[in-house]
Amino acid sequence: MGYGRSDSYRVATTTEKDEKESPKKADTKAEKKIKDMDDLKKEVPLTEHKMSVEEVCQKYSTDIVQGLTNAKAAEYLARDGPNALTPPPTTPEWVKFCRQLFGGFSILLWTGAILCFLAYAIQAATEDEPAGDNLYLGIVLSAVVIITGCFSYFQEAKSSKIMESFKNMVPQQALVIREGEKMQINAEEVVAGDLVEVKGGDRIPADLRIVSSHGCKVDNSSLTGESEPQTRSPDCTHDNPLETRNVAFFSTNCVEGTARGIVVCTGDRTVMGRIATLTSGLESGKTPIAKEIEHFIHLITGVAVFLGITFFILAVCLGYTWLEAVIFLIGIIVANVPEGLLATVTVCLTLTAKRMARKNCLVKNLEAVETLGSTSTICSDKTGTLTQNRMTVAHMWFDNQIHEADTTEDQSGASFDKSSETWLALARVAALCNRAQFKAAQDQLPILKRDVAGDASESALLKCIELSCGSVKQMREKNKKVAEIPFNSTNKYQLSVHETENEEDNRYLLVMKGAPERILDRCSTILIQGKEQPMDEEMKDAFQNAYMELGGLGERVLGFCHLLMPEDQYPKGFAFDCDDVNFTTENLCFVGLMSMIDPPRAAVPDAVGKCRSAGIKVIMVTGDHPITAKAIAKGVGIISEGNETVEDIASRLNIPVSQVNPRDAKACVIHGTDLKDLSQEQMDDILRNHTEIVFARTSPQQKLIIVEGCQRQVRHTQTDGAIVAVTGDGVNDSPALKKADIGVAMGISGSDVSKQAADMILLDDNFASIVTGVEEGRLIFDNLKKSIAYTLTSNIPEITPFLFFILVNIPLPLGTITILCIDLGTDMVPAISLAYEAAESDIMKRQPRNPTRDKLVNERLISIAYGQIGMIQALGGFFSYFVILAENGFLPSLLVGIRLNWDDRSNNDLEDSYGQQWTYEQRKIVEYTCHTAFFVSIVVVQWADVIICKTRRNSVFQQGMRNKILIFGLFEETALAAFLSYTPGMDVALRMYPLKPSWWFCAFPYSFLIFVYDEIRKLILRRNPGGWVEKETYY
Amino acid sequence: MAKDAEKSTWKDFIWNPRTREFCGRTASSWGLILLFYLVFYIFLAGMFCLTMYVMLQTLDDHKPTWQDRLGTPGMMIRPRGESMEIIYNPQMTESWDMYAKTLDNFLSPYNNSLQAEKNDECKPDQYFVQADSGDVKNNPKRSCQFNRTLLEVCSGLEDRTYGYVDGKPCIIIKLNRVIGMLPGTDGQAPFVTCGAKKEDSEKIGELAYYPKNGTFNLMYYPYYGKKAQVNYSQPLVAIKFLNITLNEDVNIECRIISNSIPPGSERDKFAGKVSFKLRINT
Repeated sequence: MGYGRSDSYRVATTTEKDEKESPKKADTKAEKKIKDMDDLKKEVPLTEHKMSVEEVCQKYSTDIVQGLTNAKAAEYLARDGPNALTPPPTTPEWVKFCRQLFGGFSILLWTGAILCFLAYAIQAATEDEPAGDNLYLGIVLSAVVIITGCFSYFQEAKSSKIMESFKNMVPQQALVIREGEKMQINAEEVVAGDLVEVKGGDRIPADLRIVSSHGCKVDNSSLTGESEPQTRSPDCTHDNPLETRNVAFFSTNCVEGTARGIVVCTGDRTVMGRIATLTSGLESGKTPIAKEIEHFIHLITGVAVFLGITFFILAVCLGYTWLEAVIFLIGIIVANVPEGLLATVTVCLTLTAKRMARKNCLVKNLEAVETLGSTSTICSDKTGTLTQNRMTVAHMWFDNQIHEADTTEDQSGASFDKSSETWLALARVAALCNRAQFKAAQDQLPILKRDVAGDASESALLKCIELSCGSVKQMREKNKKVAEIPFNSTNKYQLSVHETENEEDNRYLLVMKGAPERILDRCSTILIQGKEQPMDEEMKDAFQNAYMELGGLGERVLGFCHLLMPEDQYPKGFAFDCDDVNFTTENLCFVGLMSMIDPPRAAVPDAVGKCRSAGIKVIMVTGDHPITAKAIAKGVGIISEGNETVEDIASRLNIPVSQVNPRDAKACVIHGTDLKDLSQEQMDDILRNHTEIVFARTSPQQKLIIVEGCQRQVRHTQTDGAIVAVTGDGVNDSPALKKADIGVAMGISGSDVSKQAADMILLDDNFASIVTGVEEGRLIFDNLKKSIAYTLTSNIPEITPFLFFILVNIPLPLGTITILCIDLGTDMVPAISLAYEAAESDIMKRQPRNPTRDKLVNERLISIAYGQIGMIQALGGFFSYFVILAENGFLPSLLVGIRLNWDDRSNNDLEDSYGQQWTYEQRKIVEYTCHTAFFVSIVVVQWADVIICKTRRNSVFQQGMRNKILIFGLFEETALAAFLSYTPGMDVALRMYPLKPSWWFCAFPYSFLIFVYDEIRKLILRRNPGGWVEKETYY
Repeated sequence: MAKDAEKSTWKDFIWNPRTREFCGRTASSWGLILLFYLVFYIFLAGMFCLTMYVMLQTLDDHKPTWQDRLGTPGMMIRPRGESMEIIYNPQMTESWDMYAKTLDNFLSPYNNSLQAEKNDECKPDQYFVQADSGDVKNNPKRSCQFNRTLLEVCSGLEDRTYGYVDGKPCIIIKLNRVIGMLPGTDGQAPFVTCGAKKEDSEKIGELAYYPKNGTFNLMYYPYYGKKAQVNYSQPLVAIKFLNITLNEDVNIECRIISNSIPPGSERDKFAGKVSFKLRINT
């Protein structure tokens, strides 16, 4: 691999040179890349399935018996390269690290840090003894970014490690025939033209054109989403290479039988390879939360620059020098940077990611945590996501009645009358005429969880009978099998002859199952209530109706019949010859029908319902047949009860489909072949006008087109497109997963490619976990708003001291160190604790947020945090500042304009309001005590702030104080403040001094005011929905 | 194309003629929000004033609530010089003239005539206590005379140049005022002693203290604050350098010696002591 990479590197460097020479070439190159992507989005251009075997042989100069010559194989290998998928270009670790370090929010802090260093440089150049504050601040800011960057880097590294563990590292082998000899070679060495043999259990090593087959069935579910194994044979049955029977695809599995085929494509040129290439070539956009944070940074920067420039001009007008004014400017801008917010947001997202991982949603990218919450459309794959991916008996028809079987995973569903003799007969036929059996040593497992050897529908029957009638094994032992004709596509039935249970009864029992109409043809009687009755027209009609009804449910229907062979014709020991049938297979007794389906998961209908009430549109996109897809869609509520498709309306009114007004139908089922011919406008029209949509028989490329169509959908007045989630497990889903705003892959059944492309992985493969994801996503969005509102509020009491210091020349009320103690110390735990806040109302009952209108941080949040609560907080801080200075002898009236003398080191007899004289150091201690008191006051007012930030609309009394982390946070910040103030040595370390107990209470009235003010605001907000208060203050 | 659209949205944001919106708000919307903030801030200002008023009511007019930061009073010199450095050349009048002027100004309230007019002659060597009787304040309080002549040659009365012209400058030292401070027990008055820092000890030469021994007489204490004791005269000590080495920096430190004033903290260079640099060029 390394060799190949260095090659491509060389190519890249040369093209770079070209680009420098002629910029025009670059354009064409970009165009070509776009063309390539479009090319990949088109359907597979495979044509070999339409050629005859001879033509294929000729094309690859191979031989149908001998295979390739070794020389030829080596030549092809050199030409085409190894038969393996090029792994997607992995981002080097340092790039990932740098992304964490310089992405999104970090930029703001870096800018702050650089400005600090700049300010310090200016001060160092102009002053003799520069204050170290700016230097420290710069260092702390850088440290915060680096530490948070490392934290989120390791967090994501942990997630990717879980991803790594999914990877299947076993090298694949392939059985090829070269120069007439069979040999096992590494699958990577298989080349086009190779003659390959596959058998049940093998993985197909490359795209094969089948030349001969013996009962070969392949599982294409990872490629097409069909849950049933497909027969492979040498004949071309369909123009579409994905549907024809004579092509087997790379990386699908051969379930049973054997086949021989000629390799037509290898590596990246295979159908699977094209999908993988398409996937890795797709760019996924920014996550919604990243956009929100960007918007937030714009707002904050706007406010910071506005304040900075305003005070710069003021400072210049007040007669400060230009350099001083520049230092002030930088100081104000930096003071606006919420130092702790980056860490808070990261920790909040991590906490949610952890909580989601506990609920089986593994989030690969931290920012994707919120995306599900903003999602307005979910495109879900059917197989394995909505369904159990396991055939199960769903219905039976006997005694001229349809009975429903229990299809739930935990057998909690409805049961039917098992006492009828017909049922016993039907069960006996189903159990005996069945080659499937449980694999050994799983007796302790529940029946549904056991592994079965055999095809899907036989396993379904086996499990059904085992569940309702007890051990099939015993039944088979009692009824020894004498003869058997396996299923084949010409007969379309399977037959076996058994001894009867009754020792004295020497008759043989013939049991048969197969395509219902074929079975019916062979029957002359029918079993009703255990009694044989002649098969009349009435019964045949009843059969037809039942067959149609079950077929219409998208279920696979099998017919069952039996015959007790007359002893006189077939005495004990009769030699049954199965090749040349020497016994009757006509005039049998019809027993019943059984129909199977891959049933929906139990939790899915509920989950779909929840999504719907949460305003999320659920669209099914599957590779499976429209009828099955529609049946499952109805079963899980994607097409809700009472909603009809155009076809339903047509059949109800007995009019042609063309006469139905498409607007009348809310639901629709669209076939992949129709999708091909749709223009973009028609596609948008469908997505806009139907609320319940099922796409069936879609190719991976079409899935991509559907996702793009959904993303184009514009709700109401928003300018951004809708946010689309895609769930899927197969390789066929991966381009759509990558393209979606959030791709959700399945952890158990999902293919590696899909997991690589996804942003989130459902560890339990359960669609219901998505609902958890939506819930958590919405909750964290709300709670991040609260966290940010809380954190931003304290910015005002942090900036205003500096502003007043400049404007009215008072001693500095709050220093840099104390600001950092708030932002990175006391504010942290309460801000994070808001991530644990319970939702105010049922978040699953409201519409998804509108990405244009509903911003994480909007003007209203800034208005209330900065303009209202922040101002009250600042007053609280200033009040304690004035109290301390006044109680020490400096009355407020004296303070204005005192700054120059106050900060003059050589002025050691500064007079206070009482006539006492102070040395520099003595009054600085008082100043630092003021800083400490201001800091403590901010802690006190932040108590009230965190309590009011718990809710955005409800009263705290409605919400309650059940958030234990928040209560802990309140105590923690208070304890930390006391610790910082009273610990000996803090005066030297952080210039913080012990406070008199009474100074703690200075800010209490303001804290109380904040609480009362906000409760009143929220009361008006609730009383008067849509009113002025809501318009101006509801964030 | 795209740029034009962007431009127009920007323009639209600032002034949208269709909706008559300025910066995304109509006039009435602006009016309402500004009115709200005006009312809100007036209310806040009122609340702030109220709390400040209540706080100011709790203060004593004559004595600050807390004095614990003033345990060791600071000391200061006159003239201060630039950053506690006194550098001059006796031959160049303009280099020391401002020092003499500073001292003239500083000492003018101590003129004997003024002191006699405003202040009392007190009994020396004991505290001049003027206690209040319960709630009845004994105000205004009287102060003791500190006559300029006590500083003798450094009083500037005979030698208008305070010795600067001869290279024998006077420096006046004072102890910061602290309300209620009693600087000595057992009738022992605090006094000032000056010395050179280590390496300069040979350069400092002889010193003379005025008043005798450089003492602050106890009768000037306690201080009752500028409101109660309007004419308080802070006692002074003058030192005169008699033969200081010329053309070299001399670092001098003066300390207060008292049996009741605790030594100041290491970090405060002016609590109970004062350091300055003196350099006389020729």
